[in-house]
Amino acid sequence: MKIFIYCLFAILLFSCADVSNKSAFTGEAPKHNTAPVGTISSESIYQVTDTFQTQNDKKVALSSFEGKPTVVGMIFTHCTYACPRLTADIKSIEEKLKSENGKVNYLLVSFDSQRDLPEQLQKFANANQLDKNFTLLHGDENAVRTLSVLLNVQFEKDAEGNFSHSNIISVLDKKGVLVFQKEGLNGDQTDIISTIKQQL
Amino acid sequence: MIITFFSAANAQKKVVISKDEMVTVPAGKYQPFFITPNNQPIPVPSFKMDETAVTNAEFLEFVKANPQWRRSKVNRLFADTNYLRHWQSDLSIGEANKKIYNSPVVNVSWFAAEAYSKWKNKKLPTIAQWETAAKAPPRNFKYKSLTDFILDWYTKPNPKVLPNVKSTYQNEYGLYDMNGLIWEWTFNFNSFIGSRDSRGNDEDELKNFCAGGALNVSDKSDYAAFLRFSYRGSLKGNFCIANLGFRCVKN
Repeated sequence: MKIFIYCLFAILLFSCADVSNKSAFTGEAPKHNTAPVGTISSESIYQVTDTFQTQNDKKVALSSFEGKPTVVGMIFTHCTYACPRLTADIKSIEEKLKSENGKVNYLLVSFDSQRDLPEQLQKFANANQLDKNFTLLHGDENAVRTLSVLLNVQFEKDAEGNFSHSNIISVLDKKGVLVFQKEGLNGDQTDIISTIKQQL
Repeated sequence: MIITFFSAANAQKKVVISKDEMVTVPAGKYQPFFITPNNQPIPVPSFKMDETAVTNAEFLEFVKANPQWRRSKVNRLFADTNYLRHWQSDLSIGEANKKIYNSPVVNVSWFAAEAYSKWKNKKLPTIAQWETAAKAPPRNFKYKSLTDFILDWYTKPNPKVLPNVKSTYQNEYGLYDMNGLIWEWTFNFNSFIGSRDSRGNDEDELKNFCAGGALNVSDKSDYAAFLRFSYRGSLKGNFCIANLGFRCVKN
């Protein structure tokens, strides 16, 4: 049966020109066409105009993070397994970049538009001892979905209100262009650290 | 509204003008295709859905009203280089392409479909909504198995000229062409599906995802659903593909 499915899927891929040569995302961000002169940041995720709320109940657009490289993770605070580990991974990146303190934004955006309101995000920040370099964001379903699409993060809400999701840490440059992604928990952080350093 | 009658073997090719009609899809329960311990059937409240996919002519109106969505102006972050490639120019589908004015618009990205939906004060259907709507059996159409019909369509290459909307079957909810013409974007196409690639299941891969891998599916005989879910899983938001369009819903 599996072979049958793969065969069909192969036929399908041949019949739709552009899917097959765009493989699932790993490592370095795909190279896009060069932007026209004068619009340097045309690939910037900061073009998205959705507003989010921080753990301090402040309304922000993503563009407010412009000017520093930004490390982004998508999580939800009721998550018991992966999210605390993803958060720990990002904290460990911050720790390794201690000498660059204050020069990098660390961003955690919640999948959970219902439960992760600013107050809950603040609790999570305290519980995980996240310092002032960290911003936690709450957004509505559209804003969160749009960001997940831009960051190639898959997620789905289950009947109990929890989320299945991929674990990806993204690095945006000072202008908000996606420059690097690391998929999976733990693992070697050499590449991501060196990428962030290049962006400083 | 013009009603088109047809049979499976002999679909009539009447020119029908889409009038932005929506039909009601009754409330139901959606059993997620990939079963994990946590995904119980999701209640889907009743909603309205466009009876046909959005056509080239309709999409042209949107592009006219929203210059940032013209082919020459669109941002690569939001639509790749195939965006509306089948049109003659920014604001013209083309005299030579007259046959496709009322065919579903394709070569549109998720972001473009989202923007169109917002402009129309509508939304893209969720996977649960789309699958619920597509489950209704065909009306006026003799078939043995809807799955076989869909699979038969899947194996055919894209037609050179995409037929007009309402050229395949209408289902019991009154929706046209839920299968047989194009694939359609959903709001949450990038939903977690357990694994992007079911061939490998090693620890490294499991670590990439929260909640482990999908071990079972709700209907193993539904090959067509396997393909739909694989197709969605292979997409990115800025992809523009020659057989992928969309229709909208209102909650």
